[in-house]
Order: sequence, then structure tokens, then C-alpha cells
Amino acid sequence: MTAAIELADVHKSFGNHQVLNGFSLRIPQGETWGLLGPNGCGKSTVLNMLCHLISCDKGQIKLLGKPMTMLGVETRSQIGFCPQRSALYPDLMPAENLLFFARLYGLSELQSQQRVAELMHDFSLTDFSSTPVKHLSGGWQQRLHLAVALVHRPTLLLLDEPTAAVDTEARLAIWQLIEKLRDEGTTILMTSHHLAEAERLCHQVALMRDGKLVAQGSVSDLLARMPDQAVAKVQTEDVSSITQRANLMGWPWRHLGNDVKLFVPLSLSLREIWDALGEAKITSISLQPVTLDDAYLELVGDAASLPTLASKPRHRP
Amino acid sequence: MSSDQLLLKQTWAVTRRLMLEQWRQKKGLVFWAVFPATMMLLFGMVYAHNASMRAGLDAAAAGILVGAALFFSCLGGTVAVIAAERERGTLLRLLVTPLRPSAYFLGVVISQLLLALVQVVVLYAIAWLVGAKYNGSVWLGSLILLLSVFSYVGMGFFLGARFAKRSEEVVVALSAIGVPLLVLGGTFFPMEIMPQAMQNVAQLNPMLHMNQAFKGVAAYGKSFADLRFEIIFLVLFCGLSLALGVQSYRHLLGMDKPQ
Repeated sequence: MTAAIELADVHKSFGNHQVLNGFSLRIPQGETWGLLGPNGCGKSTVLNMLCHLISCDKGQIKLLGKPMTMLGVETRSQIGFCPQRSALYPDLMPAENLLFFARLYGLSELQSQQRVAELMHDFSLTDFSSTPVKHLSGGWQQRLHLAVALVHRPTLLLLDEPTAAVDTEARLAIWQLIEKLRDEGTTILMTSHHLAEAERLCHQVALMRDGKLVAQGSVSDLLARMPDQAVAKVQTEDVSSITQRANLMGWPWRHLGNDVKLFVPLSLSLREIWDALGEAKITSISLQPVTLDDAYLELVGDAASLPTLASKPRHRP
Repeated sequence: MSSDQLLLKQTWAVTRRLMLEQWRQKKGLVFWAVFPATMMLLFGMVYAHNASMRAGLDAAAAGILVGAALFFSCLGGTVAVIAAERERGTLLRLLVTPLRPSAYFLGVVISQLLLALVQVVVLYAIAWLVGAKYNGSVWLGSLILLLSVFSYVGMGFFLGARFAKRSEEVVVALSAIGVPLLVLGGTFFPMEIMPQAMQNVAQLNPMLHMNQAFKGVAAYGKSFADLRFEIIFLVLFCGLSLALGVQSYRHLLGMDKPQ
């Protein structure tokens, strides 16, 4: 099957900063993929390249089987792009925003009107048909932002952190909309910081770090890469003693402030872990199964992505 | 749909959107009318009070229209459109659509032309009510206004793309660049009362030639032959301004791409 998106050994620098460093990815048609990684790892750069906004320095990009260099602006009609930041015309009503973009894609007046009515209904925007966009809440604006990306029925949808700036209710609504598109067979590539989001929405995820692909597969595949492990969360005023003991035991660890996360064998009890940590002063300790976020950190291993991550890089003795 | 049809469709879509946005900003529309009308009446009264100046309101209407109304609406309006597009992030969104840069450019030009037309009608309606007359060729006057609007829009693209990243900067850019040009363009004071050195410098100011050309037709009934120097200057300036505008817009499209 022809891949919808194919990137091979793609390099991109901005000045002296190498953003993509031999990034490769192949996404079959009709699949939904999540592109995950810490801030600055190159996720948005990949999307911007696929939208023709920037070109790569080296490597090859193919869209729907054709090299990007051979495709002109007409490919833009096949791509729907939802940038991270909501970009709408605040004085216009939701339908007017949609209609404007429909006309830019060359839809006839009748097609435009029909498509706008369809999207207004599907995205539950009809109640706000006479509300200027500037008076919509962030969540509703984000829905409209997504609807604009779909106005021309793209075969490929690129979403840059579609739920980054919305509340829980709006996030759930947007997830449902993306699920519907996924189930209809639209090829979707979305960036995200959250494995939970990717697990719910994506067939596959690709994890990036330092401009490279570090892992890909389904979320369950990625979790399976951490077999027989649990996470011991230790609160201590003596971080160095804890980490030294962890090193001796061969347990990978992360820490932020006085909290240390130890990746320990699943077979160990809390008592055995406590004993193994010896004389170190422990304020509290708990034992939990490995979560999606733990797996993400294990695989991506960059402290910059989430405030809850260790300030020190993942250490493996 | 052919490529030309798409260009027309996109141009019209941009024009309609801009006109709709303008319509929604009703206060702004009122000010576009109140500002030049007030200026015209004030300056008309001053001119008419001076016995050495004939047809005070005729000249005031023409001068204010070209020198102030169109300057602020077409040049200021274009700068504001570009700044808002950048500020809201919609320029980036437009870049991922098949919208052609020429369609966007033309869409802005047409919307400003329509706005200018409304201003001409409103201003001359008020001027007519208080007794001012339009004395020259309508076609020649329209040509001068058309050249003025194109020049202003070209300059608007240049200033908007190069200097105004945010809406607040529009006011600063217009004040810093526009007001001295208006003064040196003879919009507020007759050139005769200015020192000779200022008059010499003002000869380089395109607004002076716009003013003199339109006042010449509208207030004094001058012909094309009488105004050929001003019109040639305007044609050249219009070409330069549009070239600068297009080049700046292309620069903007490259600059606003993500980095």
C-alpha cells in the first residue's frame, strides 16, 4: 500500500541549531499516528515540512507516494492543517470563517454552503452561529479551528497539539471528533505530549528525541518495552544517597527536587525496596505499576518535556 | 476550475472577508466618515475666511479626501490588515491553503478601493450640502484617485510587512511616517505659507502631487495637459509603490513561516 506520508533521513537546521537529524517515518494511508516527544524535539518542524511551509536540508519526503519536491501548491488541497495556535477571524461568525476558507480552496458556492452547514452540525457549532468568534470560549474556538482544517475534505490531516490549550470538557469533545475522523479512514498525524491522548486516538505512535525517531509502535508495544517493572516513588531529603543506592542495585532513576522515581523489578515488595535503600532518610515511599507517562519518559528520556520530570537526565548505570 | 477562475474566486473571497470585517467594526466605519468630514469642514472654514483663497471648501474637500481620508483608510487600513493577520496567526493559516499571494494582494486592493469609493461619496455629499462644488473632469479625478489608492495600498503593504508586527505598531508607524508627509503634502496648510526649503523638500513627497493633482481637477477644473507633471509623477510613484508592496509581501510570506 502506498504510504500517505514518508520521510526518509530528513535533516533540518535553523542557523546552528539542528532540529531534525536523520528523521524517518512511514505512515500508511488511513492510519492515525501520534508524534510525541519533548518540546523542541522537532515535532512541529515535521508538520510544517509536510505543509510545504519549510523545506528540508537533506533527505526525502513523499506525500501520497509522490516526492514533495515534485508537488506544487495543489497538494495543499489534500492536506488539512490545524496549527497549534488557534488562527481565526475574531469579528466573523463561525460559519463565515468556514465559508471564507472553503472559498479559498475553490469550492463552489453551493458546495461551500453545504460543507459549512455539515461542519457546523458535526462540530455542534450551530448554537453559536450568530456569535462572533471572539466571544467563543477557547474550547469552542479550538473546535472551529479544527473544523476549518477539514473544510475541503482533506485526505491527510495534520494536527499540532490539538488539545494543548483547552479544558477537560473541550478536550474530550475534540477527542471524539478526531475519533470520528479516524474511524472514517482519514489519515491523521498529530503531535502531542500525552501518551494517554495518543493511546486513545492513535493506531501507532512515533517517539522523537533530538530530531530523531527513537521508537515507534502501538502504545501497548511501547509499554511492553518495560516488562516486569514497577515505579517506586520516594520522597527524601537525601537524594544523593537514594540515587547512589539505586545505582548499586542497577535501578534506573529520575528525580525532581526531593522526589525520586525508581524503576524497580515488579517482583520486589515495598519492604524489600525500603531495605535495599539502606540508611537513606526516606520521608515517604509508594510502589505503583509503570504508567504510560513512565514509559514515555523511559523511551524519550528528556527532562525538558514535563514539569514533573527529573531535572537530571535518566540515569542508567 | 481553471487557474484564473480560482484566482478570481480567491480574490473575491479575500475582498468579501475584509469588507465584512470592516462592516462589523461599525465604530471604525463611523470614524472613517466623521474624521475627514470634520477636517474638511474645519479647513474649509479656515480657507474660506481667507479672502485670498477662492473656493475654500472646494479645495478643502479635495485636499482632505486625498491627503487625509484615503491616506488613513487605504494606507492605514492596509497596514492594519497585515498587522492583524500576523498577530492573529491567520497569515500562517493562509499559507497552508492554495491561496495565491496575488489573489490576497488584489483582494486587499479591491476592498480598499471599495472603501475609498464610499469615502468619496460621503465626503462629497457633505461637501455638496455645505456648498462646495466639483469643477473638473470626473474621469480625470477618478484616475487620480485610483492612482492614489493603489499607491497607498502598495505603501501599506510595504509598511505593514516590514515594520508593523502588531496592531499597536500601526498607529506608531502611521504617526511617525504619515503625519510629516501629510504636513509636507499641503493637506493642512497651503504650500505658499511654508519656507522655500520646505517647499523644495515637499516636491519629493508624492502626497503633494496627489493633492495638487486632485485639487487641480476638483477645485480648479484643470485638464490632463495642465496636470501632466503631477500625473506622470503619480504613475511612477504608483508603480514603485506597488512593486515595493508586492516585494514586501513576498518577504513577509517567507518571514512569517515557522522557524
